[in-house]
Amino acid sequence: MRRIWNSITDGMGFDLVLVGLAMAFLVALAGLPLIYNVMMSFQEVDMFTLGSLIRPWAGLDNYREVIAQPEFGLILRNTGVFVFGSMIGQVAIGFALALFFMLKFPFAGTIRGLFLVSWVMPGLVVGAIWGWILAGDFGVLNAILKSLGIIDSTMFWKSDPRLSIWAVTIANIWLGLAFNMLLLSVGLQAIPRDLYEAAELDGANAFWRFSSITLPMMRSTLGAVLALGLIYTLQQFDLFPAITEGGPANSSNVAQYWAWQWSFQLFDFAKGAAVSVMMLIFVVLASAVYVWSTRHEVRG
Amino acid sequence: MSYTAKTLVSAMALAAMTGGAMAQDDPVTLTVWSIDGDDRPGPSDTFSAEFNEQRDDIQIDYRIVAFDDIVNETLRAYATGNAPDIVSFDNPDFALFTSRGAMLDITDMIEESDVINVENYFEGPLNSVTWDGRIYGIPKYTDTIGVFYNKDMFEEAGIDGPPQTWAEFEADAEALTDPANNVYGAVFSARAGEEGTFQFLPLIQMSGGSYEDVNTQGAQEALAMMKRMIDNGWASQDVLSLGQWDATGTFNSGNAAMAISGPWEIDRMVDDADFEWGVTLLPVFEEGDERSSALGGFNLGIMSTTEHPEEAFEVLEYFASQDDRLFPEFGNLPARSDIELPETGTPEKDEALAVFQEQLQYAQPRGPHPEWQRISKAIYDAMQSALTGQAEPEAALAQAQTTIDGIVN
Amino acid sequence: MTRAPMPRLLLVVALGLAALYLFPLYWMYVTSLKNGSEIFANPPTFWPRDPSPGIYPQVWAQRDMAVFMWNSVVIASGVTAITVGLGTGCAYVLARYRSAWIDAALFAILMLQVLPASVMITPLYVGFNQLGLLDYPRLSVILASAGKAMPFYIVLVRATFMTVPKELEEAAQVDGNSRWGAFVFIALPLARNGILVLAILTFMTSFGEYIYSKSIIQNPAYQPASVGLSSFLGPNSTDWNSIMAYAAIYVTPILAIFVILQRRIVAGLTSGALK
Repeated sequence: MRRIWNSITDGMGFDLVLVGLAMAFLVALAGLPLIYNVMMSFQEVDMFTLGSLIRPWAGLDNYREVIAQPEFGLILRNTGVFVFGSMIGQVAIGFALALFFMLKFPFAGTIRGLFLVSWVMPGLVVGAIWGWILAGDFGVLNAILKSLGIIDSTMFWKSDPRLSIWAVTIANIWLGLAFNMLLLSVGLQAIPRDLYEAAELDGANAFWRFSSITLPMMRSTLGAVLALGLIYTLQQFDLFPAITEGGPANSSNVAQYWAWQWSFQLFDFAKGAAVSVMMLIFVVLASAVYVWSTRHEVRG
Repeated sequence: MSYTAKTLVSAMALAAMTGGAMAQDDPVTLTVWSIDGDDRPGPSDTFSAEFNEQRDDIQIDYRIVAFDDIVNETLRAYATGNAPDIVSFDNPDFALFTSRGAMLDITDMIEESDVINVENYFEGPLNSVTWDGRIYGIPKYTDTIGVFYNKDMFEEAGIDGPPQTWAEFEADAEALTDPANNVYGAVFSARAGEEGTFQFLPLIQMSGGSYEDVNTQGAQEALAMMKRMIDNGWASQDVLSLGQWDATGTFNSGNAAMAISGPWEIDRMVDDADFEWGVTLLPVFEEGDERSSALGGFNLGIMSTTEHPEEAFEVLEYFASQDDRLFPEFGNLPARSDIELPETGTPEKDEALAVFQEQLQYAQPRGPHPEWQRISKAIYDAMQSALTGQAEPEAALAQAQTTIDGIVN
Repeated sequence: MTRAPMPRLLLVVALGLAALYLFPLYWMYVTSLKNGSEIFANPPTFWPRDPSPGIYPQVWAQRDMAVFMWNSVVIASGVTAITVGLGTGCAYVLARYRSAWIDAALFAILMLQVLPASVMITPLYVGFNQLGLLDYPRLSVILASAGKAMPFYIVLVRATFMTVPKELEEAAQVDGNSRWGAFVFIALPLARNGILVLAILTFMTSFGEYIYSKSIIQNPAYQPASVGLSSFLGPNSTDWNSIMAYAAIYVTPILAIFVILQRRIVAGLTSGALK
């Protein structure tokens, strides 16, 4: 008994208690629901059996039927566009802004602070606002683009099947920009100044400094930002019902919204679970990238 | 009103007889879920509050559930044993519950009732609460759609009278379109959702089809017409994503000359539209064709898990006894033929009401079918893929027909 | 990198970019001040013809926003308390070692939050029902959303702990401190800024929690502001100026706190170098 207590106060037990508490909580509130979903995706589910775990076995039928849907390919493609479009947009713009605000000018810190507001905006509110901005006839984005002469006919962001997925992606880039810029700023500030000073003495130009100092030093930060960004983007749900509802004709539908539609519009919970399990594959990859990127971390 | 009085009298009589013993018992508490009372008072929340005032023995615990959530919230509550006693669904969703025995069969109770009489209800709404010849609920109110038109714009364009056929509808829309002033000829809702099916199914029906038989000649022509209107700019491409309320908002602000929508728009239109407007029946394909329209509106039912079926039925009786207040107070149309709607004093409103009452005679229910949501999805998916040009109307409807055959058969 | 040729010009560029970025917020405020049909006007007006700020008190009173806002505060506080209480220690341990076990734990933590809340809600509802937790709806929502918030918190706070020099802790242990002592008296104070900032961010994010509250909390007296907002968004009850007024009232306090604290937030995060 005493040995256990000693271990908890001063040995491995200390680590296990701290990690164990958090992990137990996460397993209960995230792990079990995950398992429930995986199980449900192999079962026949209807309104009477929603509350029990033992249900008729369906094997791979749910998966087969989901994949056989005519919209399956389109949704897969859209999910790719949304996830990679959002991530590339967020990282590229976020990186550019982070670099920009490293320059020294008055109020740089304060103005950079303003760029963080989208982080704390509820997704539902952001969706409602962007839904307005992107509207075709009375949307303000079209009015601005027209008055600037960039477009001459109305762009139907929400209703044109070629544009709709980009409409949601634009809103999501805005929403995720703060998070990306902040993490990248932090990474940039951690790069030792003297590296740049030495490079400048050697006569290196800006591009060379960026590609031979900034990028390599930022490798682990970028890995973390990309991995977290992927997970974050796959979780993004609130924007879809508010902006396009996945339409028109599924042209902006993505896996996470489709899973919800199966469960809560068609009341076919097993198919919804099957779609969500397929999404897991994406996230396994992202998590692996993240863990890999932490291997390059140096403890200070 | 008479029912209220009767209740009061009998309650008083009872109280006198039992010496007030009743008040000492714990009241029976019933939960009622409905979408009413969200942004303004609606029938169910108002009537529940009144009922609670009048009764000591039964108390209603009323809960507002959003339109989009009420079906899945009820499903989940039902599966976990937390179902409400009384619930109100959009009429096509009702069969999902009746077909699985989740609603209480109230056929016999209605036969005994002095307040609720089956013969008074319109056929369409009544069908939506009926399953296998038994009755599982009562229609709460009903609605349908017609064409609102801007009389000022019609006059300016020299068109006398609103369109009677779809060909006229299209021609009028073309004539009324005025890009310089940001005016579209017409606006409607072809959204990917129940509203899209609600507006498109009548066109299938008036061309001889039904929800089980969607690939009609007329439906193909209708899709081709709608696509022409969008492609030519006579209707905004945003009809693909606008709900009916938002779509009609563009009509009210003078950005569309015609709007397809229903009587729930009237009150806002009276306030917002600064032009003369009118309503006409949904057009037909050829003059003299059989008319059709959509049947909207909600139903009320008791869930089969209730512990207090008699008390719950009393609540239904009270709600039904107040049906004559639906239109004057809440702008909803009662689903009953025995209620005369009084004049409101606003001529435009009264005229519109008359048109919608006529239109109701042609309204056909969606379903009833336990898997209505999937049928509906097949229909609005076909409409959307045809209107976005992903598929030809015929191919899109054929795809929908295949899906529907798989569900219905 | 260190020399800026024209600070003034850069300031102008920065202000321009900020204006562009903040436009959606501006649009929210402007829309809230327009009347019903002006909202649908084409082309849109950039300044309301007849601004009606009266909509704010009207929406506040009509929508019982005081109750909703209070519930949002309660839920966000609960989520923050649980997340910080359980997550900090875990993050500390994960920062302290480098082994395959730590990799596995990090991987598991990320995996555990992969499913969107919209998919998690059904199993959580069923589970809470079996435990009888649905009778305490706000507690249920707090537990559920803490489960969602914690992985990000752990990952980011772990990065903060990475900056605490291991030598300091080892020195403390040599001086007779236990592991607890080293954690509480050395590591925590040094990582304080980062933890504080992430706690604030957790609070602000949970302030917008929506999906769990919507399904679990049935009594309007316990619902947060997000659910109050969503009840506007039904298909036949769309009233955009009120929606935007509601949204403005909802986010303005968190935006104000954020703008006031932003220097400290940024400083806290950057000094904690999330490498």
